[in-house]
Amino acid sequence: MRALLLVMLVVSLPSQADLEYRLAPRQVAPDTYVFEGSTENFSRANGGNIVNTGFIVTEAGVVVIDTGPSLRYGRAMRQAIGLVTDKPVVQVLLTHHHPDHALGSQAFADVPIAALSATRELLGEEGDALAENLYRLVGDWMRGTQVRLPDQALEPGVRVFGSHSLRLMAFSGHSGADLAILDERTGVLFAGDLLFYQRALTTPHSPGLAVWRKQLEQLQATPWQVLVAGHGPVARDAKPFVQMLDYLGWLDGLLRESAQAGLEMNEVIATPIPPRFAAISLTRYELIRSVSHLYPQYEQAVMARVDR
Amino acid sequence: MGRVPLLLAMLLCAPAFAVDPGPDPVPSVMWEFYRQQWLMDAPYQFDARVRVIAPPFAEDARQVPLQVDARALPGTVQRILVWAELNPLPKIVDFQPGPQVLPWLAVRIRIEQATALRAAVLTDDGIWHVGSTLIDAAGGGCTAPSVVRSEAGWEERLGQVLGARFPREDFSRLRLEVSHPMDNGLVGGVPEFYIEHAELRDAQGQVLATLELFPAVSENPNLSFDLRRAEALRLSLRDNNGNTFDAAID
Ligand SMILES: [Zn+2]
Repeated sequence: MRALLLVMLVVSLPSQADLEYRLAPRQVAPDTYVFEGSTENFSRANGGNIVNTGFIVTEAGVVVIDTGPSLRYGRAMRQAIGLVTDKPVVQVLLTHHHPDHALGSQAFADVPIAALSATRELLGEEGDALAENLYRLVGDWMRGTQVRLPDQALEPGVRVFGSHSLRLMAFSGHSGADLAILDERTGVLFAGDLLFYQRALTTPHSPGLAVWRKQLEQLQATPWQVLVAGHGPVARDAKPFVQMLDYLGWLDGLLRESAQAGLEMNEVIATPIPPRFAAISLTRYELIRSVSHLYPQYEQAVMARVDR
Repeated sequence: MGRVPLLLAMLLCAPAFAVDPGPDPVPSVMWEFYRQQWLMDAPYQFDARVRVIAPPFAEDARQVPLQVDARALPGTVQRILVWAELNPLPKIVDFQPGPQVLPWLAVRIRIEQATALRAAVLTDDGIWHVGSTLIDAAGGGCTAPSVVRSEAGWEERLGQVLGARFPREDFSRLRLEVSHPMDNGLVGGVPEFYIEHAELRDAQGQVLATLELFPAVSENPNLSFDLRRAEALRLSLRDNNGNTFDAAID
């Protein structure tokens, strides 16, 4: 019996070990670390580690920015943070309500979790459905993961942790409620999903591309030195902003011109992606999604009442 | 068996033997069932010239864009029957384009799960040409709560029609969006309430095309047609409660 149990344990070990995120923090500025995810889509191979999260080690303790896609990811973050510093985690800040950014929060149940109040509302309304969808996409990595709502509401302004003054900025362009965090000490800008780099932007809750563009321009004008996009590589120059504004402009123009020409959705979806975006992953996939989310507004703008 | 009955039998069966259906490009367990129900014993063939175009996956299973293009078929198209094979209510539209309307149609539909989508196109030689595609979906599009019914004032907007025409080199595109919940009877005890009939006429009242709609068509139906001429048009709609709605496009 014991031998059999042992055999079973040994046999089941590899599959358990496979489900490890192996998070490695990368220092991007003094006291500041990023867990950089891949630019792939969600899959059972990556467990949803397609997102950038981070933390700042301050004199007053560790501030965590976003908690990742699952309980397992949140725990892996905490473990990795513990290898960098003995200081306790004292604050979690969520940039927005999307599941890849906010579903690891259970691992920080003993820490105050703060977000914009609209983020809390959106997570309350849609969190379960978003979590369910993620279970479907990545499977067992999600085991035990449940939505944990933020317990603090953030107002725009400055919050100080030790020597780090964090400027909190409230926007809406990507998800309806998007927090951007600029560390005034180091110049690191955690842009959340207002900024995508080398990975196509996603639009399921965007109030509109024009709004998003305007807000990106405001964000670009802040005194940042290091850019941490929600998805894609960390940068020290304006390339992510340039790419993102270019892409947003292309998408907005494509949808407007297609509606003006009377194209139906499948014709828009089949549009060639400009070669200058070849390095960006998942462009076709996200175009299919964005047409579904956004094209109806553009269609209605070119039609008029004809009923009698 | 005498000679006459044999001859009769041969005649009756002739069309069915005359056409080899070929292989089903998207094998599906429900194909035979719906073929027997709707095409009955008429001859048919799987035909790549009938293009059924949908995204590879449904981002919103309540509003899936579907295009059917039978312009590559020789002969005259009489009827285009479209369905989603694994939907609880599979039928989408039954379209009869007249000579002034191209055998082409775009519509948005509900799907309940990953499914084969079919368009059977009847040409004047009595043969059904069947186009197919597959779409993946997380599902639930047929049983999701109505978006229209959650919006204040939807009853006042019932039957409102948005429309526009768009010139093409050798035809004219008409796009329409009709305010209607298109209730399919599967959601929250709300009985079936949907637009079931649409007609396009010219200024003289001549019918250019008819379209039967079924509750697999999404709420606020979004329809596109291609017409040979950019003439003035009348659109009339009727729902299953007997409401009628009219529109005019100049
Ligand atoms: Zn997001």
